[in-house]
Amino acid sequence: MNRRMKLMVAVGLGVAALAGGTAYAYVMQDVAGELRATGQVGEQADGYLGLVGSASADIRARTNDVNIQRRAAYTQLAAQRNATIEEVAAATACQLFRQRVGPGQHYRLPDGVWRRRNGSEPVPLPDHCG
Amino acid sequence: MMQPNLRKEGRDARPKRMETLRCALVAVAALPSIAACVQVTAPERPIEINLNINIRQEVVVRLQEDVRELIQQNPGVF
Repeated sequence: MNRRMKLMVAVGLGVAALAGGTAYAYVMQDVAGELRATGQVGEQADGYLGLVGSASADIRARTNDVNIQRRAAYTQLAAQRNATIEEVAAATACQLFRQRVGPGQHYRLPDGVWRRRNGSEPVPLPDHCG
Repeated sequence: MMQPNLRKEGRDARPKRMETLRCALVAVAALPSIAACVQVTAPERPIEINLNINIRQEVVVRLQEDVRELIQQNPGVF
């Protein structure tokens, strides 16, 4: 193998690694976090994302996609823990309200009203969180 | 003309009933097998959000550790 061929192989491997890394990053990207950051999507007390106002078709589709994945995850855990899907979802909402609603981002308590988190003030939790 | 239609519906409905019955029997017979009957396929229609759900608070409290793990294991979804 001459020098030139070696160089070509090295470049080829480099490109493949880069493409793989990009694909990995794409899979791992924080879709829910991005949606919350748009200000058009917020966390709800029922454990799902909700649209704060009239969002674009793209945001609506991505929100729906995340919610479908959430429901699948809730369903699985509910079966393992002998709880209802709604209970698992509501329990998750407690954690999401604590951990994932950033400053200025939206949340919706069981009263159905959208509110914005004021700075780093803690987000009030739904009553069911105990 | 109506006959084939009716028969077709009947044929479709029977396996569904059988499946439901089998799931119910398995669930009663062995509690750990309930997981086998739960369908985790995503619904085709958009999920309806109902904020006034009936939930047991003690269950929610008991689940806190589990859901913390669930959130960590599914980045992007939560």
